[in-house]
Amino acid sequence: MTMDLRRLLESALPAGVEWAALRRVRSVERSYAAKDGAFESAALYEDEGFMIEVLSGGQFGYAGLAAAGPAAMAAAAARALELARSASGRSIHRFGTEVRPATALSYETPRGRRAAPGADLLAGGAVALSRAMRVSDKIVQASAEISTRDLETEYVSTSGAAICQRTHIVCYGCAAVAREGSTIQKRTLNGPRGRTRQGGYELLDFPRIEAEAARAAEQAIELLGARDCPSMRADLVLAPDQMMLQIHESIGHPLELDRILGDERNYAGATFVRLEDIGSLRYGSELMNVSFDPTVAGEAASYGADDIGAPARKELVIKDGILVRALGSLESQARSGKAGVANQRAEGWHRSPIDRMANLNVEPGKDALPDIIASVERGVWMEANRSWSIDDYRNKFQFGCEYGKLIEDGELTRTVRNPNYRGVSSSFWRSLYKVGDASTFQVFGTPNCGKGEPNQVITTGHASPVCAFRGVEIFGGEQ
Amino acid sequence: MSAMRDLEETFKGACAALFDELSGGEELSVGFSGESSDFLRFNRGKVRQIGHVDGASLRFKYYRGGRSLASGFEATGEAEADRRKAAMALEAARREAALLPPDPYQVLPKAAASSREEFPGRLPDPGRLPQEILGPGQALEAAGAEFVGIHAQGPICRGAATSAGARHWFAAESFIADYSAYLPNGKALKSCYAGREWDGGEYARRLASEASRLEALGRPERAVPPGEYRAYIAPEALAEFIDFFSWYGLSERQIREGESAFISLKEGRTSLSPRFDLVQDFSLGVEPRFNESGEVAPERLRLIAGGKLASTLVSARSERQYGLPANAAPEEEFLRSAAIGAGELDEDRALEALGTGLYLSNLHYLNWSDVDSARVTGMTRFACFWVEGGRIVSPIKDLRFDDSLYRVFGDRLEALTARRSLVVNPSTYEERALGGSLLPGILLSGLTFTL
Repeated sequence: MTMDLRRLLESALPAGVEWAALRRVRSVERSYAAKDGAFESAALYEDEGFMIEVLSGGQFGYAGLAAAGPAAMAAAAARALELARSASGRSIHRFGTEVRPATALSYETPRGRRAAPGADLLAGGAVALSRAMRVSDKIVQASAEISTRDLETEYVSTSGAAICQRTHIVCYGCAAVAREGSTIQKRTLNGPRGRTRQGGYELLDFPRIEAEAARAAEQAIELLGARDCPSMRADLVLAPDQMMLQIHESIGHPLELDRILGDERNYAGATFVRLEDIGSLRYGSELMNVSFDPTVAGEAASYGADDIGAPARKELVIKDGILVRALGSLESQARSGKAGVANQRAEGWHRSPIDRMANLNVEPGKDALPDIIASVERGVWMEANRSWSIDDYRNKFQFGCEYGKLIEDGELTRTVRNPNYRGVSSSFWRSLYKVGDASTFQVFGTPNCGKGEPNQVITTGHASPVCAFRGVEIFGGEQ
Repeated sequence: MSAMRDLEETFKGACAALFDELSGGEELSVGFSGESSDFLRFNRGKVRQIGHVDGASLRFKYYRGGRSLASGFEATGEAEADRRKAAMALEAARREAALLPPDPYQVLPKAAASSREEFPGRLPDPGRLPQEILGPGQALEAAGAEFVGIHAQGPICRGAATSAGARHWFAAESFIADYSAYLPNGKALKSCYAGREWDGGEYARRLASEASRLEALGRPERAVPPGEYRAYIAPEALAEFIDFFSWYGLSERQIREGESAFISLKEGRTSLSPRFDLVQDFSLGVEPRFNESGEVAPERLRLIAGGKLASTLVSARSERQYGLPANAAPEEEFLRSAAIGAGELDEDRALEALGTGLYLSNLHYLNWSDVDSARVTGMTRFACFWVEGGRIVSPIKDLRFDDSLYRVFGDRLEALTARRSLVVNPSTYEERALGGSLLPGILLSGLTFTL
């Protein structure tokens, strides 16, 4: 297959091209949804296309197309070259082939069960999950969705790159909405799409998930009778399914090197982090260690190489609370002179790769969960994200969770609903005072991180232990 | 024009291939999104990325024997390849659907009408985009600002067809230059030049005019403490609220399922300001009236009238499930072509009417903070100012607001401007978007800021 792609590339190129590459992306997505114990919908989408990229005078130009015929490919190559040449003298940086390494490798998601169950079993599984959540007449909606994505990416270049990657993503979610009078509460399994992982069908352990779904529905009922989260400045203990969001928004995006370089200012925003901060900024307390690691088996954004051929490797980006490295691709590294990571990734064949998070994880610490809870005199435990908002410099944030429990004198006490907190990234992480041990560490992911112009969504993974923060502004909902 | 022709031929060819393959008892509805787009992304007045994308996405829903399946594939524009893809997609749909449980609220395609709208445009030469787009940006750079953003152009097409006979086609050649100008102090103004007829002179005049507005942003920043302030929300900022009428919004299904912030409005427990009207208004002409099932929405649908709920968005599926008449909403029941009614405030006197408070040109990253009480949080962004005595005093340090839509569009809604602006949808997720909203500026007697 790779040899065919190489022939296709070589036959498409106009004379005089310095360097070119061809990326083929094929995805197959399936989804099955159920509601209130009945089948709701199913979908099966296939998508396949190509992106040809050429280098001319230090500027890359690209063309994305679905057609695989030689004439269409040659026209696309000519268009990409014309556009690259049109930027002559106006490029933000004069790039060379050093930012397109000649990597040769293959990668495939490790899987336990490879053979897809039939649509009847997957649809039936979704129905059973939604039925399991009907634990009370107060449940006004019980929904479940199972989706899978098989993604195949091949990449060849005139300088010898030959990469073939096959990733398999399984995502499932359950949501129970409970109502009593005018009070409505919703509970999910770790947030709307938190259970996004790479792997095989062993991830769909239906008896276990049904039990978890029923528990979520019972908690939605429990929340109806709970008091609103009090407004106070107190300690905050975050479960890993909320740490996912906290990491994503207030570590991941601020550390993207293209944001630091200003590329995203017109859309997603910039960052409070400056180039000169890399290597010296105290980002968080000395307990804070954060890794960029696309090599974790089973985490949502694992790969062998990014979409320009940079081989994947684990890198610490925050060490003992100090920012040591930003999330910058080979292109951003060339522009900034700073070290980075292998993270130039594209949504699909129709988008050009940009700096992205992959798996971005908080490393486990030394504290057992009982010790963390015992350390809190007055605070709130929060889990499962339901609301997220942060400013365009990735500083002032406000996040909300589905479920909370008061912590009083070292013990978990009453359940509280509508738990929210707000803070400022640049000081929040410095208030981190407990980091859970490996027994509290959990892996989550999201399939829909948005960024870039033109816009792109991409899958990211986030794993974390339970973490505790001092003196956070906490508040509830409004009736 | 030839790219639009090619896309229409691709749509027709793929539809014909699908419908020709149908057997007895099978039905289909087909939706199509196509584009042939040039993209120029720039930063500091220089080219960051430049490229072209041809896309032709077919999405169809397959029906047989009480079972339904959504499916689709990317068409290539090569006739034989697309016939092969269509046949394979249909075969896969047959196999998959046969294994599914019956669809309890299946609605077979009924729409049989046809329509055709085409809006050719005049666009810059793709081979000269860097000069055409970045050249006039020197006016901003001369004023000390960095010019950053994206220009996208080319035809965008939508189509729908059903086995019941519907055939709809909508195509427009358009451009959008979506940009901002950043001063060294981190303050910026945001703007957009969009349309179907590119006028390089008009574009250059806009940039020059915006350069003259940078002076106020260069003044020392004011850190406004959290609290409640009078506020003027400009149309571009108000556009950020429009999604909240779709997301946990005015969908009949979401209201029935307990997932809407407007349940209390529906149940008559609350109301909005009598000044507030919201209409789905396709007379804006920025997107087609047909949905993915070929159903044609009324040109105008009053959703909120005088602060009271007039209608919800009802799909054919909800009609089947809940027994109330559909209004050709898409299956996801989201709002299209929104228009908020005008008021009487002279836009030129908005600062005077504001008196002392906050002028908000843009907002950022809004989200529900409490759906139950319709509370939304978000950030100020770009050119937002502290105003005293009807005069701009200084740009503000970014502020977070957190307040209920029942106040923003309710008892705090003091006035709406008489003039409204068409704010186009700049989204390029998956594809270049169509659509936009016709919006006034609104004056609030109070908006709560928390951080």
